[in-house]
Amino acid sequence: MLKYIIKRFLWIVPTVLGVLILLFSLTYFLPGDPASVMLGPRATPELIKDLNHRLHLDQPVYARLVYYILGVLRGDLGESVWSKHKVSSLIANALPYTITLAVCSMGLAVLVGIFLGVFATIYKESIIDHLVTVISLVGVAVPDFVAACLLLLIFAVHLNLFPVLGAGEAGNIADEIHHLILPVISLAIGWIGYLSRLTRETMLEVIDSDYIRVAKAFGMPAKHIHYKYALKNTVIPTITVIGLGIGKLLGGAVLVEIIFNRPGIGKLVVDAVYARDLPVVQGGILMATLLFVLANLIADISYAYIDPRIQYE
Amino acid sequence: MDKKLLEVKNLVVEYRLGTKIARALDNISFSIKKGEVLGIAGESGCGKSSLGLAIMRLLPRAGKISQGKILFKERNLLRLSETKMNREIRGREIAMIFQNPLHALNPVFTIKTQMVDMMRFNLRYQQLNINKKNISLKDRAIELLKETGLADPEERITDYPFQFSGGMKQRVMIAMAFISNPPLLIADEPTTALDVTIEAEILVLMKNLVNKYKNSVLYISHDLGVISEISDRVMIIYAGKIVEMADSRSLFEHPQHPYTRALLESLPGTAKIRKGRLSTIPGRVPPLNKLPKGCSFHPRCTFAEEICKRNTPELVELTPNHWVACLREGKLRRRTKCF
Amino acid sequence: MIQENIANSSPRRSNYGKKNSQIKKIAGILRIILHDYRGQIGSAFIIVMVVCAIFSPWVAPFDPYELDILNRFASPSLTHLLGTDYLGRDILSRIIYGSRVAAMVSFGSVCFSAIIGVILGVVGGYKEGSLIDYGIILVFDIVRSFPQLILALAMVAVMGPSMRNLILALAFTAFPFYGRLARAETLSVREENYVKAAKALGATNTQIIFKHIIPNTLSPVIVTGGMDLATMIMYEASLSFLGLGVSPPTASWGIMLKNGLTYIHASFWMIIWPAIAIAIAMIGFSLFAESLRIALNPKERKLHG
Repeated sequence: MLKYIIKRFLWIVPTVLGVLILLFSLTYFLPGDPASVMLGPRATPELIKDLNHRLHLDQPVYARLVYYILGVLRGDLGESVWSKHKVSSLIANALPYTITLAVCSMGLAVLVGIFLGVFATIYKESIIDHLVTVISLVGVAVPDFVAACLLLLIFAVHLNLFPVLGAGEAGNIADEIHHLILPVISLAIGWIGYLSRLTRETMLEVIDSDYIRVAKAFGMPAKHIHYKYALKNTVIPTITVIGLGIGKLLGGAVLVEIIFNRPGIGKLVVDAVYARDLPVVQGGILMATLLFVLANLIADISYAYIDPRIQYE
Repeated sequence: MDKKLLEVKNLVVEYRLGTKIARALDNISFSIKKGEVLGIAGESGCGKSSLGLAIMRLLPRAGKISQGKILFKERNLLRLSETKMNREIRGREIAMIFQNPLHALNPVFTIKTQMVDMMRFNLRYQQLNINKKNISLKDRAIELLKETGLADPEERITDYPFQFSGGMKQRVMIAMAFISNPPLLIADEPTTALDVTIEAEILVLMKNLVNKYKNSVLYISHDLGVISEISDRVMIIYAGKIVEMADSRSLFEHPQHPYTRALLESLPGTAKIRKGRLSTIPGRVPPLNKLPKGCSFHPRCTFAEEICKRNTPELVELTPNHWVACLREGKLRRRTKCF
Repeated sequence: MIQENIANSSPRRSNYGKKNSQIKKIAGILRIILHDYRGQIGSAFIIVMVVCAIFSPWVAPFDPYELDILNRFASPSLTHLLGTDYLGRDILSRIIYGSRVAAMVSFGSVCFSAIIGVILGVVGGYKEGSLIDYGIILVFDIVRSFPQLILALAMVAVMGPSMRNLILALAFTAFPFYGRLARAETLSVREENYVKAAKALGATNTQIIFKHIIPNTLSPVIVTGGMDLATMIMYEASLSFLGLGVSPPTASWGIMLKNGLTYIHASFWMIIWPAIAIAIAMIGFSLFAESLRIALNPKERKLHG
């Protein structure tokens, strides 16, 4: 087990390095002269030259790359072109909103999705099963931001049940939850649809397997088979999907944050893209990517922990 | 004791494949006494596995028991509710040991968890062990594993199934079957998937356990050698029907049905005696939905005559306790011992 | 009698007319798909969408760019079946032209990413363990570390929003998935007995790759591609919604959604129709991909009947 974790960690190093290089090259190709953009239209050539030197923009590519990587390792992600705030602090402020949204959405989706999938299997071919199929179809077909728009339209604008904008008063948990509900539901719907289908299919396969037949032959009560015995076998392949799903979820979170005006990383990045605020774009994407990598790592390790077969390999 | 433990009457099991219906078991009737081992032999695809599954009412979705009665201790199992079947019969009064132990245990739970779970819900087990209440379930499981010859049960019980070999897994299965010392054991080809040396060990184990606890056994196999070792009585099935049923000794020494004769002759041992080529039974088992008219075996039978193409043979008691279903019964040349 | 039985029990199959059998195979698969309700609904939606996409100028009643300011925010009527938007443009026509954008972006990006991914994956799998293989896996992992939408967003921001850049960016974010799939297939096919036999008979690497490995990767790649089409439609809509996809005044469902959101108080028809269009397109492709998966996989066929 330890060996497995160590192996995973070691592989992350070149991966993250590659990520940094890719990010750097993206922004390297961004058209325009960053220094003059930062200083504004009234900048003199000397000021531009000075800023260029300070930002290492006059150095050859590989040197700039090295400066960038060293900076990241130090935690220095630069300054926002417009607000002059440190990028790292901007990100630190935005991060909790995104993480809350992602964790709550995925959590809700996992609980409801797996539950629905199990129910659909137990009551196969009944009304519940067909209902779950319909729900899952809708969930998969309707993208997060479309659901967000529709939910916004119906529940916030028309019915006035939920707030339209923002993340709520900081510190006021009830208010924050109130602001979380619609965004979380928009993100969770897609995953509930997918997870319930996946759980149902996996569980159907599991129920047909030899060991479940043996358990039935030994008179194990049906409830126990469904809710304990077969469940563990079903949940295990589902977890692998969740790790990958965080990436899609983060993508969806970007749009949901924009629609509901939540000050998370997604909104930060997109606003920065509109404003051509290069350091913020870089820093924001880096943060999102690191979150994704971390989530995958956690998922892989949990998977190895839960499935005993992996540990002993 | 002449009381019949299990009595099967006119059992018909059908499988639906698309629009076709195949009879895996056609009008099967037999009984098992207390403490008796009945061996059921036949080629692959002849329906014998369905017998075990039918008694346990564990037929796959495509299968159905369309006629007949299965009387266990004078109760008709086919009339019990599913819950009663689960709570009283399966794993309690009747236990089944399956053919391939490879995937028979849940890979994500330890042996301990699985065995303890089987015991927790087993009321019969609790009744039987009412005076042993102070022994924990785990210890009782270890005892059972010791009895089935598993090495180091205290350490191995917390292992996962993938750490066990096929033979060890089968021992665990047998231990689970004996949790509540069931009056009837159904063994569906338990040694087919194991290599020969392990097969011998498991057979010896089963014989010892059955001798000790006096269970009745329904032993299903295609291997006549194994059947002869363990059975008191033997039943030969072909294409879903019983073709011969007799005491073990009587059947192997004086087989009366051409199919039984042919099976015995095809054993490699007999070929050595004759110093000839291995004899086989020409042709193949017919698909169960396209059985030949008349006697199902007649296309492959070397003694078949015109009448065999038209009439279906019934089971007839040729000599006491020796039943044959052949239209030419009694007319086969008397032979000396086959082995 | 005995001889008859033996003769009937082992039929022979000849290799005569192999090309014929390939066409029959494809026809057989199509038949399975069309018998399944998922395949029926999916195919129906896809056909409608493709027809709209290809024949948009003939199907659409109005010019999608034609302004009619006096008639803005109109509700559905006999002339404007779905109503008009904030500039008076006919929503139905814009939806129809929007299907063109969705189809081009999704097919384009899936094709590109599948081709690049399969090539890299097969090369990596074939040379398993070598430096090339590790390099390829590393590239896959690096690109996969980025959340797809966010990477595509950044790339389009750098390259400038246009349909071509959108297709390239989306293809770039997706190729590792096909690559990993192709690589896994290559690894398992390589161990198959028929490949070893071919090698023993002197087949070259190229022959093995093209005759055995690539056909085996086709099936999972096609199924993944089918599902991906739906995903790409969503990504196109998402990015256009953010203004980082196709640029206005092109009719894209994403842009229409954005406009609908902005003018949500004036008319909710602007937002409903593109939402429904996106949903229908995604359902169609998802269902079709699902039935394709079942049709191509004999094991699944038994499970789902």
